[in-house]
Amino acid sequence: MDTELLSDTFVELADTMVADFDVIDFLHLLTDRSVLLLAAGAAGVVLADPRGELRVAAASSEEAGLLELFQLQNDQGPCLECFRTGRAVSATDLAGPAPRWPRFAEAAARSGFRSVEALPMRLRDQVIGALNLFGAGPGGFDAADLRIGQALADVATIGLLQERNVRRRETVAEQLQGALNSRVVIEQAKGKLAERLSIDMDRAFKMLRDYARNSNQHLTDVARDFVDGATADFPPPARRQPHR
Amino acid sequence: MTDSRALAVWAQVAAHAAAHGQRPSVADVCAVAVSSAQLSGSWVVAARGTDPDFVMCVTDPVSEQLAELQLTLGEGPCHDVLASARPVLAGDLGDAESARRWPAFTPAACQLGAGAVFALPLIVGAIRAGVLGLYRGAPGPLSGRQFGDLLILADAATVMLLGSEHAGTENGDGAALDGQAPDLALHRAEIDQATGMLTVQLGVPVAEAFARLRAYAYSQDRRLADVAGDIVARRIRLGRDPGQDGGP
Repeated sequence: MDTELLSDTFVELADTMVADFDVIDFLHLLTDRSVLLLAAGAAGVVLADPRGELRVAAASSEEAGLLELFQLQNDQGPCLECFRTGRAVSATDLAGPAPRWPRFAEAAARSGFRSVEALPMRLRDQVIGALNLFGAGPGGFDAADLRIGQALADVATIGLLQERNVRRRETVAEQLQGALNSRVVIEQAKGKLAERLSIDMDRAFKMLRDYARNSNQHLTDVARDFVDGATADFPPPARRQPHR
Repeated sequence: MTDSRALAVWAQVAAHAAAHGQRPSVADVCAVAVSSAQLSGSWVVAARGTDPDFVMCVTDPVSEQLAELQLTLGEGPCHDVLASARPVLAGDLGDAESARRWPAFTPAACQLGAGAVFALPLIVGAIRAGVLGLYRGAPGPLSGRQFGDLLILADAATVMLLGSEHAGTENGDGAALDGQAPDLALHRAEIDQATGMLTVQLGVPVAEAFARLRAYAYSQDRRLADVAGDIVARRIRLGRDPGQDGGP
C-alpha cells in the first residue's frame, strides 16, 4: 500500500469546498485511486436514481463490458443487494459452483473478473450509491483493504454531501441528478468522438479525459462543449483560454 | 425494475388523455404530475439554449402567472434548471435561501399563493428541451416516491417535446403516443453514445440526432436500446438522406 498516496487521497476527497467542485471529476478520483490503492482490476461508482434504477456515474475504465456489469446489476448482483441491505456485499469467487447471480457472474467472467465487492455510500439511513471493486482473481480483497475501501467511500460520501454547504435534504437529490445528467453528456461526447475518429468508446473516453486534464477543465465541460459544438473536430480549435 | 414503474406512470398519462378523447400531450403530463404528487399546479416551459423561451402549457391561472413571472423577471427556478442541468427543489419559498436565490421571484410567487416550487429539467445530456415546473400552496418537501414519479413524467414530457420539434418524426413518437407507451428506457449508455454517433453520421445537432434515433427505432418496430446497441456496434448506419436509413 502506498501510504503517501493514501493520505493524499483522503485529503483530496475531503477537499470539496472549492469553488469549482465537480461531482463527476470527484467520483473519477475515487474510482481511479481505489484501483491504485486497493489493487483492484477496476472500480466504479453507481448512484441510486429515484426513478428506481442504479446508474453508473464514474468508472476507472470505460470498456463496454465493465459498463455492462453495472447496468446488469439493476436485475441482479452485489450492487443491488448492497442497496437493498445497506451493507457491504462480497463475491469472492464468481466462477465457483452454483453462483448467486448467474447472469452477472457470466458477464464478469467475460470481462476477466472473478471477485467483486460492493461498498455502500451511506448518508444516515439512506444509501445514495455504492463503490464497486472488481478483482481478476478469486479470493476477493483482504480485510484491511476493504476497510480502507469503505473509508474512501465514506469520506467521498461526506465530501459529496458537503458541496455548497448542504443544509437541505433536497440539495442532495438535485446534485445527484445533475451528476447523472453529466454522465449522459459524457456518453454523447464519447459517441460523437468515436464516430468521428472511428475509434472505440473506451479510447474516445480517454481522449476526452486526457484533454480535460491537460487543459485544466472539467470533463463534463469538455464533453458538453464538444457535443454542442457545430464541428466534430477534436481536440477543439484553440478558441479560448482554459479557465482556472 | 424501472420499466414497470415507468409504464405505470405512463398509463396514468394515457388514461388522462383518453378521458378527454385526445392523444397524450405535455398537458396530460402536467395534469398527472399535479395529481400524483399532490401539488397545486404545473407548467411546461420550452427552452432555447440555456434560457426559458415560452410557456407551452399550464394547468391553472396561478401556474400561468408563476411561469410568466419568471420569463418577465429573468430569474427563478426554471432559469436555474436550464443553467445547471439539474432539478431545483424549493420546498419552502419562505426560507432565507429562496429569498437570497431569487430576490424578485420569491416574494411575487409567495404573493400568488405558492408555498413550494419544484422545477425539473426536460434535458437529456446536452439536449435542453425545457422545464417542468410545479407548485404547491403549502410548503414542504417532495417524498422520494413523488420525486421519482415526477422524474419519470419529466422523461415523458422530454420525449414529447423532442419528438414534435423535428420534421420527419411525426410518424415516430407522435404515433407511438397514440395510446401506446413511448420507449421511456432513456437511461442506457448506448442510447446516449448512439445519439452522439448520429450527430456525425447525419450531420445534425444532438437534439435532432436523438429524435431521428427514436423515429428510426419506431419505424422498425424495435426497442430503442436494441437499435442503439446496433449503432454502437456499427451494425447499422443511418445515412444523411432519410430514405437511406437502415442499410447496414
